[in-house]
Amino acid sequence: MRVPRRATSSGVRAFLAGLDWIMLAVVGVLLALGVLMIKTSTTHAIAGNPGYFETRQVIFLIPAVAALLAFAIFDIRRLQPYPRVLLGGLLGALLVVFAIGVTVRGANAWISVGPFQLQPSEFGKIALVVVLAAMAIERIDDIDLWRTTVTLCAVAAGPALLIFLEPDLGMALIYAAGLVGVLFIAGTPWKHFAVGALGLATTVLLAFWILPSVGIRVVKGYQLERMTAFLNGGHGNTAGYQLSQSKTAIGSGGALGKGVSGATQTVYNFLPEDHTDFIFAVVGEVFGFVGAALVVALFGILLWRALRITAQAATQFEQLVAGGICAMFCFEMVVNIGMNVGLMPITGIPLPFVSYGGSHLVADMAAVGVLLSIHRRRLAI
Amino acid sequence: MSSRLVSPAGGPGGPGRRRQRPLNPRTAFRIAVIGGVALGAVCILVVRLWFMQVIDAQGYAQVASSNAIRTVVVPAPRGFITDRSGRVVLADDVPSVNVVAFPLELAGARRLTEMRMLAPLLHTSATHLMRTMARGQTASPYEPVVLAENISATQRAVISERIRQFPGVELENAYRRNYPLKTTAAHILGYTGLITQAEYKSYLAKGYSGTEQVGQAGLEAQYEQYLRGVLGQTQVEVDASGDPVGTAPLSSTPPVQGDTLQLSIDMPTQLALEAELRQRVLSIGRATGAAGVALDPKTGQILAMASYPTYEPNAFVQHSPHNTRLVTQYETSKTFTLLNRAINSYPPGSTFKPVTALSALQLGRLSANELIDGPSEIKLSGTVFTNFQKENNGLIKLPVALEVSSDTYFYQVGYRFWQLHQSVAGLTNANTGLQQQTMAERFGFGSTTGLDLPGEDPGRVPTPKWKAINFGNTHTYLLDHWIPGDNINMAVGQGNLLATPLQMAVAYAAIANGGNVVTPTLGKTVTNPSGGVVRQLSGVTPPRPLGINSAFLGVVRQGMFLVAQGGQGTASGVFSPVAAAGGPVVAGKTGTAQSGTKSQADHSWFVGFAPFNNPKIVVAIIIEHGGVGAIGAAPAVCGTIAAYGPTKFNPHLCGSAGAVKSN
Repeated sequence: MRVPRRATSSGVRAFLAGLDWIMLAVVGVLLALGVLMIKTSTTHAIAGNPGYFETRQVIFLIPAVAALLAFAIFDIRRLQPYPRVLLGGLLGALLVVFAIGVTVRGANAWISVGPFQLQPSEFGKIALVVVLAAMAIERIDDIDLWRTTVTLCAVAAGPALLIFLEPDLGMALIYAAGLVGVLFIAGTPWKHFAVGALGLATTVLLAFWILPSVGIRVVKGYQLERMTAFLNGGHGNTAGYQLSQSKTAIGSGGALGKGVSGATQTVYNFLPEDHTDFIFAVVGEVFGFVGAALVVALFGILLWRALRITAQAATQFEQLVAGGICAMFCFEMVVNIGMNVGLMPITGIPLPFVSYGGSHLVADMAAVGVLLSIHRRRLAI
Repeated sequence: MSSRLVSPAGGPGGPGRRRQRPLNPRTAFRIAVIGGVALGAVCILVVRLWFMQVIDAQGYAQVASSNAIRTVVVPAPRGFITDRSGRVVLADDVPSVNVVAFPLELAGARRLTEMRMLAPLLHTSATHLMRTMARGQTASPYEPVVLAENISATQRAVISERIRQFPGVELENAYRRNYPLKTTAAHILGYTGLITQAEYKSYLAKGYSGTEQVGQAGLEAQYEQYLRGVLGQTQVEVDASGDPVGTAPLSSTPPVQGDTLQLSIDMPTQLALEAELRQRVLSIGRATGAAGVALDPKTGQILAMASYPTYEPNAFVQHSPHNTRLVTQYETSKTFTLLNRAINSYPPGSTFKPVTALSALQLGRLSANELIDGPSEIKLSGTVFTNFQKENNGLIKLPVALEVSSDTYFYQVGYRFWQLHQSVAGLTNANTGLQQQTMAERFGFGSTTGLDLPGEDPGRVPTPKWKAINFGNTHTYLLDHWIPGDNINMAVGQGNLLATPLQMAVAYAAIANGGNVVTPTLGKTVTNPSGGVVRQLSGVTPPRPLGINSAFLGVVRQGMFLVAQGGQGTASGVFSPVAAAGGPVVAGKTGTAQSGTKSQADHSWFVGFAPFNNPKIVVAIIIEHGGVGAIGAAPAVCGTIAAYGPTKFNPHLCGSAGAVKSN
């Protein structure tokens, strides 16, 4: 009886010792802060039910922690041989969303599961990174070739396009970030990125300026409004209102913040979506520069640890997976906080670990689990 | 596949430790690039946060608090206006509901959408509401703009039911001015209204919020500083939909009701005067209006002041389509409904003769016992002047000349003033030797009396200078030069002389009270809501001595006695029956003033006082184009005196003028 138990406990010890505790600590602080900020910002959101959102967020933490543990234990390399199966599953799930999805905040990205809504595209972002990493490894000797780059771009374009059509521009961009991360670490030539960047710039100009000016609508009006609100300071439309309320919340927080009770912008609902995409503004108002800069610094530490794991990965496949996840975290953090402070367009990307929402929480925690698993095996050869 | 990637080469780990897979330099560089990008992004965000939260924090904080703190104005009732007893309320307040909007909360396209929805509920157009909003926002963006005042109960119910559809719009409790006696004393009271754009700055400097009702005419405007209530203010925290959060206001100042203005108006006298004026104008078909003033000759306190036609002041403060039409009608009326005729100037006609007489007596140009011929016509300085109805009064002394109102007698007195003028100025048009004018000015003619009411007409005492200025461009000697006819016409209250009924009352008060020119006042006291006297308004300016020998005053008073009581008195038919029945003895003077336009009837004047031995009331009345003084104005004066407590008598004792022999 005692021997197996000893064996088990030593396995658990080894597992615990292999974790990146700094990264876990950072994630833990961000999660706790998220629940507190959700509580602050939604006290008056639903009359008679002040705890609705924070309770749900705490409930979401259960599958999120489970996902983290599962992926920390699971060896991601076991998925390496099946990129096409995974891609097929991802595309299938996204098509199911089109068939039976429900619309939340304008995007048909959710499917209902009991009292919760599931957003398959959130889980899909990890799947896509795994698919891209596996397919890049298959072509690692031809990584310099245009054929490889185009093939991988085409693979990513499928799900990204479906998501863009939901429409969820923000999520589609996260997929693109994952693609760039994988390609970049895999060693795709700089020239390819330069050409890609040029192509992207042309597309943006066409979609937002040239085509609309000749009367062809590529993006929806509200999307254009949201995308450009940060450029004109935000006047005269809903996106502008959102942005100016966000900046007011952050700026009025001052150096040390107004505290939970003094955060009028948040508490009295002047700032819409303050528990989801604009949660950073709540942090800025409640805790001021000290709190907001701390959150940015925590993400900096998270990225440092993620990059360290990328560098230390035992296999190149894992390295690419870690790099892709790292790129996505970096992109989400920069775009979300950037739009909160008025430096980036409003694209509807939640702040990882902090914003309210189950799917992105579970997916991001799973991604951390993947990183931890890679970290654990860094010396396992 | 993974095994292929395993490198046998040693890593940085020490001996005995499992070694890490070595990093190829290209990958290491690329990871470093991502790290650099991430570090750069972190730095940019922190710098941005520093600028927003440390350097520009003040500005954002201000925006945040203007978001969340709303100043709710608590209305303050305006001070009441009462009669002299303090028991009759002439102006008070009734609660009303206004529709207001906060311009900053109603920006962009939402404003037009809401105004389009509101406009039909408020019986107006969205364009009008948008313009009101824009004006209010320019004036003071943080203050609510009044979109509609005093809405009906139905409107109130409909809007409050749908108020959720109108974020930024609120129903606000306020007070509306009310004039319970409607047209009574309208020209004295005036009315209130919203601060106009032109007045905005000066009111703002006095601490008004800009949305208050202020006095726009009459005593409401004159005593605005006392009547004004001071708005209370409550600062509350509100959420994004404008609903108050929490229960305790952040700060609160209670509203303060304005002070009560107590007038010297005696209600029975005021009502009698108004009734008399109305009745005279309605019964004399050609009359276009009437005005009257009754005052206490000792104190100058005005007991009654009225003008006809009159108006309904509530039309200005109670908004309805009907009232809007009514106000337009008043403002465009051909009979100048809004004009207070009691302080508007007219030729005084024969009512000016006592002033002429006293001037001549004081200047030594006339003696009380001097017998002067009063023929049917007389030629003076080459011009023939005729007596009223070509009557021949024979050789008469001053009292009788007043009794019968002999024009030819007074023409000769006027000619003596011409001689006086000529002895100084010669035949030049010099503005010297103006004793007739100087004496008239001593009685208060030619300048405002100092009445506490806006819009007083100073009247006119003509001088050579005045003629030169006003008729200089005609280059007609008779018009632009001072000629004998000017003194002669002025002596009988004609020519270019103009006086207001109020000036006549003040001049007669000086004759009646023994030579003191009083300053007439409508306001008596200002009392605060708890009853304490804040300020005394009447008797503040001491009377000015007339500087005329009291014996001369006695002679003229004797003449005025004969006018109303003597056998030949022009108004004795009206007043002698009163004295005969034991009522007060009235003295006074009739006037039948040519109005300039020959096609219209003369103005009918009477100015009198009572009782003769101890005057307590002076009444001056003019019936515009009312004809002969004794017929139109004298009975109205009689009826007014009858209503005043100290001289009270049965108004039916007032007789009729009988056969009119004189003016």
